[in-house]
Amino acid sequence: MIITSDKTGRRVMNLYMGTGLALTALMMLAGLMLRVSQAGWMPMSPGQFYAVLTLHGAGLIVALMMCGMGGLWFLMRRETSLSASTAVAAFSLVVAGVAGVLISTLFGGFAGLYTFLAPLPFHGSWPNWSTGVFLISMALITLGWMAWCLQMLGAVLRAYGGLRGALAWDFVWHRQAFDASGRTAPPPQAFPALMAGFDGMLAGMSAMLLGVALIVRWMDTRVLINPLWAKNLTYFFAHTYANLIIYMLVALIYVGMPYATGRKYHTSAVLAVGWWCSMVLTLTNYFHHLYMDFVQPGPFQYLGELSSYLSALPVTAVTIFGALMLVWRSGMKWTLGAIFMYTGLIGWVVGGIGAEIDATVPFNVHLHNTLWVPAHFHTYLVGGCLLFAIGWVFLCVESRSQRRTGSLMRWLISLLTFGGMSVFLMGFYCAGAYGVPRRYSIEPSPGPDLAKIATIGATIMMIGFVVALLEGVRLRFGYPDQTAGGQSVQEARA
Amino acid sequence: MSVAVKLLITFLVFAGVAIAIFIVIAVSTKLPPRDQREVQRRGYAIRGWWFMGLFLFVIAAFAASIPFYPYMSATAALAPARKVPVIAEQYAFIMPSHLPVNTPIIFEVTSRDVNHDFGIYNPQGHLMAQVQAMPDYTNYLRVVFQEPGQYSARCLEYCGIGHAIMAKTFTVGGK
Repeated sequence: MIITSDKTGRRVMNLYMGTGLALTALMMLAGLMLRVSQAGWMPMSPGQFYAVLTLHGAGLIVALMMCGMGGLWFLMRRETSLSASTAVAAFSLVVAGVAGVLISTLFGGFAGLYTFLAPLPFHGSWPNWSTGVFLISMALITLGWMAWCLQMLGAVLRAYGGLRGALAWDFVWHRQAFDASGRTAPPPQAFPALMAGFDGMLAGMSAMLLGVALIVRWMDTRVLINPLWAKNLTYFFAHTYANLIIYMLVALIYVGMPYATGRKYHTSAVLAVGWWCSMVLTLTNYFHHLYMDFVQPGPFQYLGELSSYLSALPVTAVTIFGALMLVWRSGMKWTLGAIFMYTGLIGWVVGGIGAEIDATVPFNVHLHNTLWVPAHFHTYLVGGCLLFAIGWVFLCVESRSQRRTGSLMRWLISLLTFGGMSVFLMGFYCAGAYGVPRRYSIEPSPGPDLAKIATIGATIMMIGFVVALLEGVRLRFGYPDQTAGGQSVQEARA
Repeated sequence: MSVAVKLLITFLVFAGVAIAIFIVIAVSTKLPPRDQREVQRRGYAIRGWWFMGLFLFVIAAFAASIPFYPYMSATAALAPARKVPVIAEQYAFIMPSHLPVNTPIIFEVTSRDVNHDFGIYNPQGHLMAQVQAMPDYTNYLRVVFQEPGQYSARCLEYCGIGHAIMAKTFTVGGK
């Protein structure tokens, strides 16, 4: 069953996902302003543009991360012991950090971007206090993230018998003895939980290491920070965060798609090994961000490409293939929840193709830091992660509502959302292929023309999301009074 | 047609095939449902082939890409070439305005302040080479300009609010 009678668990999930989705909506509006400005329709000054870009990048990453944290926490609370108060404390730290980012960018004009690549934060035209507020705010967000990771990691290790049990090591290598002992393997969603906890802690520690170094530099200008060291740490934590957002939300697929298709999804040896690979490869992929740093030790460049390529194997052969097998000839009802989740898989795959092309060193020469980069990550963040989160919310609402969405409404929402999104994303891809640099407040040709087309697409996409929101509210008001407490409509009818 | 536009076409082909597969699988839900065990039995066999095929493809692609890496080998570094220092700073490139055609050039790229990126666009406006410009480090980029004309260098690493205006035009040959 998709929803439980655990009201506290639902409230914590709603807190995280509601805040995450609201923040996502705000950041999408900020992104739309940036594209409108690049189109030349309502130009912002460079200072305003880059402050909003900083807010947009940091805000969207944190917003989607909150969706993943809330969704995965809710799923794992059904399987393990997770304290709601710890989760709320972690949430509070993240929200405090987000408030600080808003203050530093909107009021302080901090425009060092969400990557705050050292030593840029100390060479800007913005006031010194805004740099400090931004860095401390990002540290608060990281502390909240690490508290969540620690809680999740502890819960998973306790529930499944340490790291060996959580990895399903004996389930994979000593299957007969494992079965004979009467033990069961962790459920599929426990693997992203373990990965988020473990890799997330490593990423958080590197972010804190860098963050503390930068805060010390902010306090004392005599402190020197090696730019290559800082760049490696920056991309290690930023890349890992971005990837973990996807993997956390994938847990929703493991529960949502079986529910939508009426089929079962079990842990298998292939699934376990696939997640082991993802846990490792996610940590070594980040080297592809430094291909154009020729002073980076050569073996890391080779490792970056090979690791990026290999990470496609567990993703496509395990999770996506498994989801497609669930759907194939299942007779699945295409509710909005199912549509969003399934389309999210497409966004993940298509964004992954764009990423793999960019992760090829000789191609990276022509694409690095062009608009191809935001093209691919917007594809899997907006076209993948966001759709997983929205799909999950719709599945939850649909499972409890007595109302149903009509065919015409489903088509309307799909056409507006996915049609607009395709146009919006193609604006990025085409501009990237024509060498238009990313992060330009005023773009060279054909950037402005493509930005106009992309703006129209983004507007249509956002209208689609608004219509979906209204439909979600309509479904929400269709809950039967007598089924309070988390029972689904099906349960109540039974 | 530039390399990047060819990459865009490649991307569209791969993405189109992937989307077509998803559509076919979505349409299959309109057919009479099948037992999950039967779907899994056939699906696992296909997955094995998919895994092996993709694994071989990525290994082959990795091996094929290595000869085209832009990093200078020790041999290339020792070969005769004109050394051209490039100093990046907010928001300008300090470098010569004229460079020779058909001559190996090694750009010695560094930065005086923050991270920049030295991206070279050919006369057709295609991004043909790039390297990061970092403070405290010097990156060496080897280029042979085979076509005379007006080239430009643009900063491709965000370096502050003047990032978009950080550019330098230079001519190759014809002097």
